Amino acid sequence: MAAKKKEKVEVQEWMYEIIREPHVTEKATMGSEYGQVTFRVPLTATKPRVKAAVETLFGVKVKAVNTLILKGKTKRFKQNHGKRSSIKKAIVTLEEGQTIDVGTGV
Amino acid sequence: MQVKELKQNGLEHEIEVTVKANDIDKRVDVRLKEVGKTMKMPGFRPGKVPLKILKQKYGKAIMGEVLEAAVNDTSVKVMKDKKLRPAMKPNIEVKSFDEGKDLVYAMKVEVLPEFKVKDFKGVKLEKPVAKPDDKAVTEALERIAEGRTSSEPIKGNRASKKGDILVFDFSGRTADDNVEHDGMQADGHQLELGSNQFIPGFEDQLIGTKAGEKVEVKVSFPKEYGATDLAGRDAIFDCDIKEIREPAEAKIDDEFAKSLGMEDLAALKKAVEEQMSKEFAAHSRLKLKKALLDHLDDNHDFEVPPGMLDMEYNNIIQQIEMERQQNPQQDSGEDAPDLSDDEKAELKQIAERRVRLGLILSEVGNSNNIKISDPELQKSVITEAQKYPGQEKEVFDYFSKNPQALESLRAPLFEDKVVDFILELAEVKEVSVTVEELTAEEEEDEAPKKKSATKKKASTAKKSDSSKEAAKKPAASKKKSTAKKKAS
Repeated sequence: MAAKKKEKVEVQEWMYEIIREPHVTEKATMGSEYGQVTFRVPLTATKPRVKAAVETLFGVKVKAVNTLILKGKTKRFKQNHGKRSSIKKAIVTLEEGQTIDVGTGV
Repeated sequence: MQVKELKQNGLEHEIEVTVKANDIDKRVDVRLKEVGKTMKMPGFRPGKVPLKILKQKYGKAIMGEVLEAAVNDTSVKVMKDKKLRPAMKPNIEVKSFDEGKDLVYAMKVEVLPEFKVKDFKGVKLEKPVAKPDDKAVTEALERIAEGRTSSEPIKGNRASKKGDILVFDFSGRTADDNVEHDGMQADGHQLELGSNQFIPGFEDQLIGTKAGEKVEVKVSFPKEYGATDLAGRDAIFDCDIKEIREPAEAKIDDEFAKSLGMEDLAALKKAVEEQMSKEFAAHSRLKLKKALLDHLDDNHDFEVPPGMLDMEYNNIIQQIEMERQQNPQQDSGEDAPDLSDDEKAELKQIAERRVRLGLILSEVGNSNNIKISDPELQKSVITEAQKYPGQEKEVFDYFSKNPQALESLRAPLFEDKVVDFILELAEVKEVSVTVEELTAEEEEDEAPKKKSATKKKASTAKKSDSSKEAAKKPAASKKKSTAKKKAS
């Protein structure tokens, strides 16, 4: 896949790894008014990498990336202690006028 | 919504309807909102899913639903606007439709023909009426008596003759290998000579025998005999004549009436007379109705919607096939799967007549506000239930659960009521006729076209009735004679 015209960065495999899936919830859709799109990303993802990935894959300009880690709950069943895996969400704010059609896939 | 008449061919209208895209969109949105109120989606509370996301996910499914609803709504509206009365469900073909585009569909519809129902006031009809006279009653009594003839031993020792009933034992064997077969022996069998119950030749050889004699009867089974291993073979029957009986005339007297469960002869006569006059009344009504229908058919000439015609025609064909399946031995000669062209044309005519009459009757009914009330319907359900003694409850359940079945009861009721209505208006002249004239079948000399639905039904019903009667009588007499024998 060739890089898009104005993008400096070429599409690379890790980018697909970073954008796991769009995070579609009530709260996430509230951000759509301000051009914010939420993605589920690996725990190892960094803000610059998310930015690069989103910019390349969707062909949009990213204004800012905020991330957060949602800690998995600890669950106990009798003596066994378990922990649900944590997830990392990345809230990407796009430049004005830019949109990403969530749900159509990468 | 734009409506364009493409073409009109007789009763067939072809209409093109265009529904604007935003109309459709509006409908979709409304429907989505309705659905969204209860829709569960991960990440959202029920009812809080944004329209956009709903549309993305369920838009396609909803679209189909909306499309159907839109087509239905608009087609009904078009019909109403154009004042078309559809005879049947319109045939709708969607020409083009896509999201964000106008919906265009073509609608083929057959309308009910416009016709004026003629005035009934001038209609003159003849109602054949017959009263059961003494002669008819006696005849009927004699017929009943005939069915209940008993037999008594002959006096003296004379030789048997035709018409006698022989009581005899027999055991038979095939002539060539001396083997006895099943069903070739019996003790105390009663055989009426000349009744042709046995294979040809058997009874003839028993004529002229006397009680106590032993006779060897040599016969050969006919080629087309039921049991294939016996067909066409010669057989010898050793017959031991026990008794010769002759049929006794059943006297029509009080005794006879009592045996039928009546108090005396007068009561029996009255009962028979009542029964007959009821039958005659039914006949007269049938004839009158037929005359009326004929009249209606002759005086109204309008085009019949081809769709309805086809439906009725197919119904008839199906009915015929069903009848054939039910009694395959009957008219096995014309077991050919296809009807000849002549027959088809004939059936087409019958179908056309039925449809036309149906339209006229419903028109008359509607314009004169004839309705079937619920109590009336209830009554017919009860009569229907009485036809199945012991299962009344099931019948009631069936009708309460199947509104469609109830509807099928409504149709004949409605028809009857309309006919009554017309008859009230029409001039009905009573003409007394003889019993024979009243009950005579007219089917033969009349054109097939004249056969009406009711007529046909009635005649088949009659047929089955009479055949049942015929089947009943010998059975009854047999029972009686065996009972008598046991007693002796």
